[in-house]
Amino acid sequence: MIILHTLALLLAVAGSVLYLASYFEGGLLLIGALMLEGFAQWKKLGKTAFIQQLKGIAQKSIVPVVGIAVALVIGAIIMALTGYDPVKAYEALFYGGLVKNWHVSVLNAVPLIFTGLAITFAFQGGLFNIGAEGQYYIGVIVSTWLGLTLSPSLPSWFGIVLIYLAAMLAGALLNVVPALLKVKTGAHEVVTTMMLAYTVRTLSPLFIRAFGGDPVSSSHPLATDAIKDRFWLPLFQAILPEANYRLHIGIILAILTAFATRYLVRSTNLGYKIRALGYNPKAAKTYGISVGWMTTITLLISGALAAMAGATQVLGLDHRMFQDLNAGYGWNGISIALLARNNPVAIIFTALLWGALDAGGQYMARVTHTPNAIIEIIKGVILFLLLSESLYEQLKKHGFWRRLGRRKQKEVAA
Amino acid sequence: MNEALLQLFAPQLFEAMVRLATPVAFAALAAVICERSGVTNIAMEGVMLVGAFFAAWVGWLAGNPWIGVLGGVAGSMLFSLLFAWAVVSLHFNHVVAGAIMNILAFGITRYLMMICFGRQGTSESLPKTLQEYKFAIPILSKIPYVGPALFNQTPLVYLSIISVIVLSLILSRTRFGLSINAAGEHPMALETLGRSVYKIRYSAVLLSGLFCGLAGAFLSIENSNSFTEGMTDGRGFIALAANIAGAWRPGGVFIASLFFGFVDALQLRAQSLGLLSLPSEVFLAFPYVATIIAVAGLVRRSRPPAALGEDFKIEGESET
Repeated sequence: MIILHTLALLLAVAGSVLYLASYFEGGLLLIGALMLEGFAQWKKLGKTAFIQQLKGIAQKSIVPVVGIAVALVIGAIIMALTGYDPVKAYEALFYGGLVKNWHVSVLNAVPLIFTGLAITFAFQGGLFNIGAEGQYYIGVIVSTWLGLTLSPSLPSWFGIVLIYLAAMLAGALLNVVPALLKVKTGAHEVVTTMMLAYTVRTLSPLFIRAFGGDPVSSSHPLATDAIKDRFWLPLFQAILPEANYRLHIGIILAILTAFATRYLVRSTNLGYKIRALGYNPKAAKTYGISVGWMTTITLLISGALAAMAGATQVLGLDHRMFQDLNAGYGWNGISIALLARNNPVAIIFTALLWGALDAGGQYMARVTHTPNAIIEIIKGVILFLLLSESLYEQLKKHGFWRRLGRRKQKEVAA
Repeated sequence: MNEALLQLFAPQLFEAMVRLATPVAFAALAAVICERSGVTNIAMEGVMLVGAFFAAWVGWLAGNPWIGVLGGVAGSMLFSLLFAWAVVSLHFNHVVAGAIMNILAFGITRYLMMICFGRQGTSESLPKTLQEYKFAIPILSKIPYVGPALFNQTPLVYLSIISVIVLSLILSRTRFGLSINAAGEHPMALETLGRSVYKIRYSAVLLSGLFCGLAGAFLSIENSNSFTEGMTDGRGFIALAANIAGAWRPGGVFIASLFFGFVDALQLRAQSLGLLSLPSEVFLAFPYVATIIAVAGLVRRSRPPAALGEDFKIEGESET
């Protein structure tokens, strides 16, 4: 039994890595892994229970699939009404996002997974880190700075680890401000983290100019010099020669971080306390959990996660800092965190979906001249449709819990 | 140094203060009315952006900025209707719905830019803006400092001041205003009295859409002559801060907005006079930092409506 599970896991890992590197044959390995795992479950549960489980999974996936389909139909109607050909546009969207430029989709997903994790992590504690973009920028600034100035005599791997740690520390430190203000004065983190994000973004050109940005050149947005190449993240090409030359191992780091976050949230004492805080701060307090301390810790870890997005982007892809990247990692991170319904591992998939929509949208705009802003609208509609359902579920749960609470109170009163 | 200070604090500074406070004041009034009815609103940024776009587009089509204002208000109210539907009828978490509205607003305005103007970035300029309808109120505008600041302005600036007075009268004196307060403080009691919390919250969100539309119109066709993508620049969130700092009251909120206008005017003026030899980015970041400080300093003294952000569901409604 254990052998079957291990085999399935190995196949899944190998298949995922291959698939992410645009070796689509990896998909076969993934299917094989699924079949093996299915077989193992079937053996364990027996026929009826196994079919029951399959039905459960199918039921769960109906809503997202139908929601995305309806959003695409709405997008098609908008395109048709405004004079674009939806069939051609969608052909390009899917071909570009899932096949031709799949590597761009994967590259897009990398920072989104990190910022999505940052936002999800804060959500667990009932906090809304709407300014993850600011922590992302701090991550970018610190890793560019270290990438430019660290001594080249350092071993490559050591430098990379050091840069990650420094970026995470900086992201956490940035969130000390909203955390302290929240705890000491009650200032809402939506306002403070957002304003900090604007502050950091506004100030970032100062840093770029200090490290080589040339305001005169108009060919390119203001950018720093490139960081030393010994601190670049390894590329997929080192092992898989057919992989795109830009694809770096950041995606694997991101996936591992997602699993680590899940472990932290679900299986540790700290995670339990943070969830208690998010669920009901008053109850958490009566259980002896320090609300102020937990709020601070939650925001700090969230900031560190968002900064990892910046570090990965610099070390893996850009190798420098651009001015006003304005890529909306904060807002997109919020979207994918909401879509994943606070499940850290589901974020990997929602980030890939968003990444594929962006990459496909660019390809679509280039090939069919359909404005790729339609993708932003489709994203909004997807959020709208999928989340209204999820909130119905949450409300049901809340109603249930409230009733349970009342019953307990009555018992006490009796 | 003294001379420099005199130069800095010239009457123009106060005129700019009131002018720059206007979009924040409108959006903050939108926040007041929405949140007093119990609906947390972080969607102002997006609603404003939609309003700014429609004001510029309709105004450009009609060649008349006044029709542009109407277009902007209509666009942002329609967009707010979606928000109201989500939070009141679909029982979305208010903050989540607000975030989605912001995301949608960026997408919609970018798409419409391509459809209506065939390009990205900045729209066509209007032939005539509301700036040209600037007028001084006789006698009052002659008062030193206060006169030019408050009584020699453009139309929407006057309208913002009038709105503050009208809104505080509505909230404190009318049945509708009292219902809004009740919907935010104790919705169940309001429902028991036979008034619909749903209807009250719908109208409050729509009214907030109206004010956001005016804020947007101010940005695109009074303070400038065209729409630029993302031109709200975080003012929706600054307005949220003004709402908290002003303790959910129209008057307080207006004073808070004046503070943000003052900071903004100060940085612009200090920058253009070259008083401090600092890079311009430092000045630009000033309002954001001031917002953080203001919220942190004033939040303790204000109390949000008791049922703010809480979903209201009529008993017996189907739980699907």
